[in-house]
Amino acid sequence: MWILLVIAGVGIVPAVMTDAFFLRLFTEALMWIGLAITWDLMAGYVGYLNFGHGVSFGIGAYTTALLMIRAGVPFWLAALFGGVAAGLVALVSGWPTLRLRGAYFAIGTWALNRAVGQLALVLEVTGGPDGMRLPPFLHPQFFSWVMLGVVGATFLVLWLLLEQAPFGLKLKAIREDESGSLAIGLNPAKLKLQAYVLSAVPAGIIGGVYAYWITFIDPASTLGDLVTDQAVVMAIFGGLGTLIGPVIGAVLFFGFKTYFWAYLSDYQVLYLIILGLAIAATVFFLPDGFWGTIARRQEGRQALRKGMALTEPKGR
Amino acid sequence: MVEPVLKLEEVCVAFGGLMAVDTVSFQVAPGEIVGLIGPNGAGKTTVFNAVSGYYRPTKGRITFQGRDVTARPPYELAARGMGRTFQIVKPFAGLSVLENILVASYLRYPRQAEALAKAWEVLRFIGLADRADLPAASLTLSGRKRLEVGKALALDPKLLLLDEVVAGLNPTEADQTVQLILKIREAGVTILIVEHIMRVIMKISTRIIVLNYGQMIAEGTPDAVARNRQVVEAYLGESGDAAAGATA
Repeated sequence: MWILLVIAGVGIVPAVMTDAFFLRLFTEALMWIGLAITWDLMAGYVGYLNFGHGVSFGIGAYTTALLMIRAGVPFWLAALFGGVAAGLVALVSGWPTLRLRGAYFAIGTWALNRAVGQLALVLEVTGGPDGMRLPPFLHPQFFSWVMLGVVGATFLVLWLLLEQAPFGLKLKAIREDESGSLAIGLNPAKLKLQAYVLSAVPAGIIGGVYAYWITFIDPASTLGDLVTDQAVVMAIFGGLGTLIGPVIGAVLFFGFKTYFWAYLSDYQVLYLIILGLAIAATVFFLPDGFWGTIARRQEGRQALRKGMALTEPKGR
Repeated sequence: MVEPVLKLEEVCVAFGGLMAVDTVSFQVAPGEIVGLIGPNGAGKTTVFNAVSGYYRPTKGRITFQGRDVTARPPYELAARGMGRTFQIVKPFAGLSVLENILVASYLRYPRQAEALAKAWEVLRFIGLADRADLPAASLTLSGRKRLEVGKALALDPKLLLLDEVVAGLNPTEADQTVQLILKIREAGVTILIVEHIMRVIMKISTRIIVLNYGQMIAEGTPDAVARNRQVVEAYLGESGDAAAGATA
């Protein structure tokens, strides 16, 4: 219930704040929230670091652009197909890559991202390095609402599946001990593939919305490392394994980035340096992220009241 | 004759050239507690892994409740009513004690409310109800071993495979675990147990199977097995009558 209220509350914002710059930031912040929570589904819940999350975003963006430009498909249908395409790619690529563990899965998915990016670069139909231009539809409010609808629905679906239904706990069991999960009747191969597709479909739709919103896509902006990397940093900033954590991480990170570029642009050489230090500091001092640290403190207080021993925080 | 819960027919498991389990055949009847013993490296855990689907037998046939289950995956065997524990315990360390049991309960009780009820029932049964909200990582070894049993019990198993659930516990804890195992049998669960501690295995087993170098060297009641010359040799070396006399 409260989730719907929050989403509705946030939905009023574009109606009141009509400044174009603000709406752009608002929409982009939502986009990153969507990418961060879907990345965290694999990383935080299943324990698989997907360094090719940008593939879903890029496939969604390109599918939408191709359908709209070459086949005249209406936007909403094209974006939906973008999600379907991303899901199909995840289904096919997940089959081999999800057999890998730890660093090997990260490398495998990263390589997939590179391969798809290269494909978009050399193919003629995708416009190669020149990218694609979509029919412009300049209506910032429209896009902020569409993005809110897509990301809000994604959050709601993930919340229901991960926090309310058994699915989330089953994924966590796989994260904690994959071979042990077999003995209690779980089929990790199937569950991981379901989670992988579930994280890819919304990212693909978000990519489709992005393409129509920005009206121009190229391999660097949709399939570059930065798409995945920023989602990764946001989720880790906020705290893995929760839905709220990556949302907070995305808002904080995006806020920092925007502030820096808008008001401290004279020092832009420092941006990546400060960012790098902030990430290192987070990993060192707040291994559970912002939200994870706050939640752990609450837990600690309760445990102390009950006179129970505390466990060591788990480093990630 | 009653249909056996579990039947192994000439099961072999080879790792490269090493025969870890060599042509082993035995049956477990409903209601039995069958002890599987043998010196280190005799192939006891390998038998468990083959039975529970973690290893694919090189040869032979495994039948569970009348169905051929040879080389079926572990989750399918769990669904058919086989629960197992691990010698090296595998708690879901980051989850709470309750969540550890709950996630196993979903197999039989897909609805949240029923799964929770089952999980609490199991927690009370294994005596961990007062630690339900603690992370599994904070449990002592004894607690983790009981949690391991609890996860298997949450599956409502017909057959329970217990791999060294007593080893490593102090005498008081060991006695508690023995009581727990007997209580599980009273609840109608058939048990196949691997254990190093002879005092325990001799006390609770209705029948004992002895493995050495992957082969079955003896089978019988605890008393008969304890007097078996080959068994004594396997444990104490081939020193003949003196050793046999000492343990009889």
